[in-house]
Amino acid sequence: MNDAVVRISRRSLLWAVGGLAAALLLLALVVTGVVARAADANTVASASVMKTQQDAAERDIERAYEQAVTQVHKVRALNLAITAAQADAITLKALNDLKALRHSGLVSLGQVLGLAAADGEATATAAEKRFDQAPLSAQPAPSPVLLAPRLYAIAARMSELATQLSDQATAAVTAPAATPAPTAAPSPSRTPAPPASPSGRP
Amino acid sequence: MRPATRRLVAFWVIVPAFLGAVFACAIDPRALPFTGHEQLSAVFLLDGQAYFGHLEDVPWSGTITLRDVYYFEDASKVTTDLPLALVKRGGELHQPVDVMRIRRDKVLVVERVSLDSAVGHAIASQRAVDRAAK
Repeated sequence: MNDAVVRISRRSLLWAVGGLAAALLLLALVVTGVVARAADANTVASASVMKTQQDAAERDIERAYEQAVTQVHKVRALNLAITAAQADAITLKALNDLKALRHSGLVSLGQVLGLAAADGEATATAAEKRFDQAPLSAQPAPSPVLLAPRLYAIAARMSELATQLSDQATAAVTAPAATPAPTAAPSPSRTPAPPASPSGRP
Repeated sequence: MRPATRRLVAFWVIVPAFLGAVFACAIDPRALPFTGHEQLSAVFLLDGQAYFGHLEDVPWSGTITLRDVYYFEDASKVTTDLPLALVKRGGELHQPVDVMRIRRDKVLVVERVSLDSAVGHAIASQRAVDRAAK
């Protein structure tokens, strides 16, 4: 009986095993995406883009501040039930709180952007001065900027807190005037009445 | 031509030329590993939600994978320039890790995001902020 024998040279066998191993390695790399992730470039914003983002975030903070201040002034201009002195005190406190909030927001922005504490303070003060001299409402609308998520979080928090402060001031200023406490009129004291039906208890 | 020479030509000329032609058709030269630009993708789902990130799309898988994921959020009540905001996925209540698998049959469109777009700039700025925080 003749047995069929396939002869494979050692060299061919090595090529086949090597090729198979290479194919498996390639497959593993593709499936896991290890090389793709390691090689994937991550773009980081340039200084000019960061400046645009910073300016936009400062504008958003200022816009929240100006809207809240406008609301407080509008409410103060109404005919109020409380005295003028009371209304002025509430308005002044609200405006001071809003200024402090704006400063805090601008300082937070500087911190997030990696500025040192002193630089952050200086940048915030400079921005405040700039906006006080030229409010946003008097400026042409800038081209809109989509903020980075972290900067948006600051702008959103600022907006939320400014709205809260102005709403609180509105509620306080428009509250009805405190009326003098009514004098207690003499009235017969109520004595505990016996139960309508006698209880079965002794 | 001798058989040995023919084998040599086939192995070192024809096969590489064929493989080169195939890969040249399939690979985006702007996104070559280690040398190319970043490849950001936008995945629009059938329910209208859109996610942005690094897409891994393996043809034989029933899902596509997004990493470094961002999405839009309504910002109409915030005093920003635009009525929408970009949010980085991961801060939700369940704090998902940075991998998102999406069923392929729920995907409406996959598009490349330009790095010079508003979304590209916002994502790049977020990375700069993250880097500054370290």
